[in-house]
Amino acid sequence: MTDRTGAGAETMRLGLLRLTDAAPVALAAARGIFAEEGAPVALSVEPSWANVADKLAYGLLDAAVVPPPLALAMELGLRPAAARLVVPMSLSLNGNSVVLAEALAAPILSGGIRPPALEAGRRLRRLVEGGLRPRIAVVHAFSTHDLLLRYWLAASGIDPETAVELSVVPPPEMPAALAAGRIDGFCAGAPWGGVAAQMGVGRAVVLSSAIWRNHPEKCLAVRADWAERYAPTLRAALRALLRAGRLCDEPAGADALAALLSGSDWVGVPSELVAASLAGGAGGEVDRSVFAAHAAAFPWRSHARWFATQMARWRSLPADAAERAERVYRPDLYAQAARELGMPVPTADRKTEGGHDAPWSLAAAPTPLVMLPDTFCDETRFEILGSEAVAAPPS
Amino acid sequence: MDLTEKLRNGCSKVKVLLVDTEPERARLLEAHLASAGVTETVRPQPGEPLPIAIARTAPDLVIVDMARPDRDTLDDILRATHHDPRPVAMFVDVDDPAFMEAAVEAGVSSYTVVGAALPDVKPILRTAVAIFRRYRQVEADLHRAEASLRQRVLMDEAKRFLMKHRRMSEPEAHRWLRRRAMERSRRVVDIATELLGAAEGEGSCKDD
Repeated sequence: MTDRTGAGAETMRLGLLRLTDAAPVALAAARGIFAEEGAPVALSVEPSWANVADKLAYGLLDAAVVPPPLALAMELGLRPAAARLVVPMSLSLNGNSVVLAEALAAPILSGGIRPPALEAGRRLRRLVEGGLRPRIAVVHAFSTHDLLLRYWLAASGIDPETAVELSVVPPPEMPAALAAGRIDGFCAGAPWGGVAAQMGVGRAVVLSSAIWRNHPEKCLAVRADWAERYAPTLRAALRALLRAGRLCDEPAGADALAALLSGSDWVGVPSELVAASLAGGAGGEVDRSVFAAHAAAFPWRSHARWFATQMARWRSLPADAAERAERVYRPDLYAQAARELGMPVPTADRKTEGGHDAPWSLAAAPTPLVMLPDTFCDETRFEILGSEAVAAPPS
Repeated sequence: MDLTEKLRNGCSKVKVLLVDTEPERARLLEAHLASAGVTETVRPQPGEPLPIAIARTAPDLVIVDMARPDRDTLDDILRATHHDPRPVAMFVDVDDPAFMEAAVEAGVSSYTVVGAALPDVKPILRTAVAIFRRYRQVEADLHRAEASLRQRVLMDEAKRFLMKHRRMSEPEAHRWLRRRAMERSRRVVDIATELLGAAEGEGSCKDD
């Protein structure tokens, strides 16, 4: 663990966990990109999301790489240690998978091919209707993993509240928990699905990208007071992370990046398992992460609203949760940093989620952006009309 | 009876589930908790997940080492309360953020399981924080001592290298390292490390 010893007050103490999608942060630190941009950053590798959240809340961290639902839960006071945060950028798309123990995975993956998400879900539903109540773990109560897993189960006609038993297990412990039979499956980020498959204890039956194609995964959350006080440092850090993100999107650099991340001070698993979810990687138990290309790092207010809406689906939230969630996301901060790098910036803060089943062109300044498909497994469209968000069936 | 009443009545039992991976510290903490009014301290069984340990021991208060990654699961217990109506809350004293900051920094986190009014469990948590902080201090001191010893060994080795291969006297070698560190605005020990690293690369460093 690194702390602020000897560092100036403007040093950004940035917390993160050992996961493949921490790649841009790891690379920006290892290659000196933070320093080049003039952002003093001290990384603090934490053992759990709860630690990250507590330290952020009590000011022992200034910023952290977190799943967006955790940032929103902190801001909305759903977790006891509340904090005012801003999300000036997203950090990655994709990267999780739902892995089930071999006995459950075999009938779902029969024929050796992973079926489309809803078909996999229907096959799981048949097992559930046959009397099984699978115990499935997610990485944190407030996580992308939890919401996407629930979304997929519900879309498949499986009630996540009753038909399965959901629990929380730290990501690196998932494969062992599965091997020991403490859980029947899990939804976690890379490389843990690949690790479980290599151990022969389970297989991915659905990738998170098949639940929501190119879904937002991690974001940068910054204490609101720090962001205001050290705005130039924050902007410099955002530039560094955008530059690092672009490097992480380069297939040519994937081997070196995987070697860096697979080190024992990072993820600590063989580099081919880390490489699987990077650009140019083999995929397999997980889809590839996208970091900065295709406006992946843009903090879409429609993403914030989608997360808040899904959180409200499963637990009680304040009535103004969606509006507050949107305010936490700060595309204006992203825009400043991106412009300084000459990167195109989307001209809108929101987009229709789920409306594109192929690459599409998005209005951006100075030049339009090529965007990735963003469909949901149930073909729902999440549209924002004025200030209202409505989930509409496919037209 | 909830924990508030228990403590207010100065009576009966307060049971703490202590989740600490450091056995020495846990022993120390257990002894001190007793003097803070905790009548029973229980621990999880080896390999036992936290939620199961909590269900099994039904503690009034959980004190957990933040270094345990499965502390995440305690956040999950909050979520699970609608299946189990027992109120569960992370111990947070909103009136005293400095104290909570101190607790988090010391590496301890605490959760009430029966929903006590917060000020009443404060003495117990203060005890835990004091122990954790003291332990951390000892660890930090040890770390510093080790680092400083390592640095001295490195410096001596670099000086010996300069004396042997560049025919410097000891004070000359010392001055050479200092000057170079100043010129490059680096620490002397970094210069020594670099010098020895480069020498090792040439295969001429080790003189023993």
